[in-house]
Amino acid sequence: MPNVVDSSNFAMSWRALLPLVLGVIALYLLLPKPRKRPVVIGAALGVMAVVLGGALLFRYGPAPVPERILFWCFAVFAILGAGTMLTQRNPARAAISFTLVVMNVCGLFLLQGAPFLMAATIIIYAGAIIVTFLFVLMLAQQRGFSDADDRTREPFIASFAGFVLLGTIFMVIEHTYPRMHEFKHLAAKVDAAAAQTSLAGIDEAIGDRASFMAKWDDEVATHRTSPLGANLNAAVTNLQSDLTAPRRELDAIRLDLQELAKVCHEIQTDEEPKPLPAANVAGLGYLLYSKHLLAVEIAGTLLLVATIGAIAIAHRRPEPRP
Amino acid sequence: MIPTADYLLVGAILFVLGAIGFLTRRNLILMFLSAELMLQGVALNFVAFSRHHGNLSGQAFTLFIITVAACEAALALALILMLYHRRATLDVSLWQDLREQGQESTLDVDMPEAGLHPAEPALPRLPQAGVEPPHDKEDSYV
Repeated sequence: MPNVVDSSNFAMSWRALLPLVLGVIALYLLLPKPRKRPVVIGAALGVMAVVLGGALLFRYGPAPVPERILFWCFAVFAILGAGTMLTQRNPARAAISFTLVVMNVCGLFLLQGAPFLMAATIIIYAGAIIVTFLFVLMLAQQRGFSDADDRTREPFIASFAGFVLLGTIFMVIEHTYPRMHEFKHLAAKVDAAAAQTSLAGIDEAIGDRASFMAKWDDEVATHRTSPLGANLNAAVTNLQSDLTAPRRELDAIRLDLQELAKVCHEIQTDEEPKPLPAANVAGLGYLLYSKHLLAVEIAGTLLLVATIGAIAIAHRRPEPRP
Repeated sequence: MIPTADYLLVGAILFVLGAIGFLTRRNLILMFLSAELMLQGVALNFVAFSRHHGNLSGQAFTLFIITVAACEAALALALILMLYHRRATLDVSLWQDLREQGQESTLDVDMPEAGLHPAEPALPRLPQAGVEPPHDKEDSYV
């Protein structure tokens, strides 16, 4: 069993705790309390948590600069909008903040090639649901603030538990989608070595053999859950045994290196997102009415039942008194 | 392209913030807004996976999420209105007599201090401009 958490990941996870802790403190300070307290400290901590999280947790990848800027803006405004929604005393303002979140999530949808969903979400959430919420709010809270908005239930325990959950999700994401800097560096070395035609050339391209193989063992440990992890493990083991054999054979080593280079290439293309169909609406419609036809019928029935239920609940009839 | 993991992380943050809001806030409408926030996080995850795998199934799932969210909003708002008619408040704590047997009830010990919400300024009154014209009976078409 290889060492699961190698040192680089471990250091990464400790640094990742910082924005999470800042987030807990900021949320605790900002959640509504019966006492008045300045919001400046909490807001500053929250912004610090967002910036630190953006610097430490996210990876951005080889994206063009405009896409990075758009992603950063949409993500930051969505998270800040969610934060202000939680911490507002005034429910109407909270609903407006939620609209901000919906708009920015729609921006993220658009960045991921889902224009139809973006339009549908804006129309249904921001257009219909939020307006209905505001309508009910105006109907129900005509006398201004109720004191339910001035206090929260167990703010510290809830935010702590929530951020523990967030840290766990973050660790799972880190292990499922490993960072690829080191991997790319190693794969380039393997490519260079596979192009050599002599044992001396291969040794020169690899450099220090022990550290090279140790790094590959780390990568095997990191990728052991990915679909191509077994192939990578087999290729690295073959290379290891041929490199350390008493009589090293050029052909065998070259074959191993080429095999490893092929697996590396497969893993790298596997990590890349695959292209979506260009006709988004047509593709979605075809999928809905061919593969998910039954689900569409059930969703329609659900809408009908919910409509009838809402009318039945909200309709006020005089109760018969015995 | 931005890696899938980044989108998943944004979705996770939105989900967790929604969960915290659902646990802490006591206004019924804010609790439902928090539930919708959690749904937004999940929808973001679905769309990210859809792009990661290069097929549209995740986006189709998100459409169903939107359907369920619309149904949920309709039913929840109808229920909230009914609860409001009974107790004339949106505070969920007033419904704690529905709790499990043997559970202690929670009591609010510290009440909000006075002056937390400053009184809103009164709306300005328009000055009366000129004399009110005499009403003409013939102008009525009823």
